[in-house]
Amino acid sequence: MIFQKIKYFQRETLNNLWQFRARNIFSVTIICLSFLIVGIFVSLSNNLQYTAQQLSKDMVVVFFLEKNMDESDRATIEQEIKKSSLVKGIKYISSDQAMQNFLNKFPELKEIVDNLNTNPFPTSFEVTLSEKDFSYTETQPFLNKMKEMKGIEDIQFNKDWVEKMQSLSRLARAVGFFLGGILVLASFFIVSNVIKLNVLARKDEIEILRLVGGTNTFIRVPFLAEGILLGALGGILSLLFLFIVIRLFPVYLGASLGILSELINFRYLSLSQSIAIISSGAVIGFFGSMSSLAKFLKT
Amino acid sequence: MIELYHIWKQYQKPDWALKDITLNVNQGDFCFVTGPSGSGKTTLLKIIFRQIFPTHGQIIVDGRNILRISDHKIFSLRRTMGIVFQDFRLLFHKRVFDNVAVVLQVLGFSRKEVRRRVFNALRMVNLNHKMWEYPSHLSYGEQQRVAIARAVVNNPKIILADEPTGNLDTELAFEIMSLFTEINKKGATVIICTHDRELIRHFGKKIFFLYKGKLLREETI
Repeated sequence: MIFQKIKYFQRETLNNLWQFRARNIFSVTIICLSFLIVGIFVSLSNNLQYTAQQLSKDMVVVFFLEKNMDESDRATIEQEIKKSSLVKGIKYISSDQAMQNFLNKFPELKEIVDNLNTNPFPTSFEVTLSEKDFSYTETQPFLNKMKEMKGIEDIQFNKDWVEKMQSLSRLARAVGFFLGGILVLASFFIVSNVIKLNVLARKDEIEILRLVGGTNTFIRVPFLAEGILLGALGGILSLLFLFIVIRLFPVYLGASLGILSELINFRYLSLSQSIAIISSGAVIGFFGSMSSLAKFLKT
Repeated sequence: MIELYHIWKQYQKPDWALKDITLNVNQGDFCFVTGPSGSGKTTLLKIIFRQIFPTHGQIIVDGRNILRISDHKIFSLRRTMGIVFQDFRLLFHKRVFDNVAVVLQVLGFSRKEVRRRVFNALRMVNLNHKMWEYPSHLSYGEQQRVAIARAVVNNPKIILADEPTGNLDTELAFEIMSLFTEINKKGATVIICTHDRELIRHFGKKIFFLYKGKLLREETI
């Protein structure tokens, strides 16, 4: 019996989708455009997030140590640095090694270095931070504490880029969700009204179904399925268009952006983000149908 | 089978559509409710299948007080009834077959069983050859017969018909009325609202006369 009803619902839903195709195409388009905008911002934000991650991977804090420091003081500082959960790795750089590194980077300055009587490079610890914990609020207290420590002369940490990148990514995501939120809300009302029109057009049918003993669920299911399908289809189409945008963007606009092209770039949505977009579409369709049916199924 | 106790119905103050109606219809009865236009015939039928509520009074159908059935369980009452509406209430975007089949689909019958029953119901009203046509391609009388086929396809215990022969010529009206007698013979209780005296004279067994919302008299022939 249930199987028969499922077959009936399936047939009814498809018939209805076809019967009111013009209206349905309209609501799918609205949902698709709304999610496309959300998708574009999420994609931009993904790219910024990715760039920030790449930058923070190479992020090294250098603790310069005072000259003529004895072994035990150095070990204390090393222990103190290692204690922090932010630290992923630590490497001791001696004065000689520092000079060697410098000469490797700038071989043309070898003559100047050779003319110096002493080695001017201080000893240091090069500390790599773990990427996931990287944030200003967490690193700053650690750095402040270390600065106070005896034996540390200076700390070099170029964190600005990473932070800027991260805040840009957060901004892109926030703008995306704000604009997208408004559009998704608007599309909810549009879908709800389109389905209301469909319901109105079939008011007689609903009444007849009720009079011949149709339960509310029996009447409701094809409409809800219709809403869910329209919403999910809108979500899928938006991902398809987003894919096209991502493919075409570098071809047509990427080159003209020059140095900014690294930042203003699109990255494909993750599987969970794509699923979230499709299911949000389905949820919008479901509640759109639900709200428009409520009135007709009271008695 | 159907018992009405002191039914009053008011749509708008100060007029009463029904005034203190008390009547009893037994199982297997073939009844007419008659009276001039505006006497409350349609209101009475609507109350019996609970499309509307009476202002006062109680109704027992098949041993159940239908006013106490909750809205979301009203379908169980309606599944025991076949209703023929004055305006047929056919779905014009669906074929004749689907119009009749809807009652069985609600109940979850298999496609094969739906086809068999719909065919039989349409054969009974002599429309099986027009099963795949749209109602708009049928004549008025044929549309009426589709509505009857839909009402009987589920073998309901009760058939309620509101002016089922309105606007039909006498010959067709008699034909349709014969259909109802056939259904009645199979055990269904039939209540027909009509103001056609000729039909009542010819087919009437139990007649309720309404006038301005009041039950004037009840006759059993």
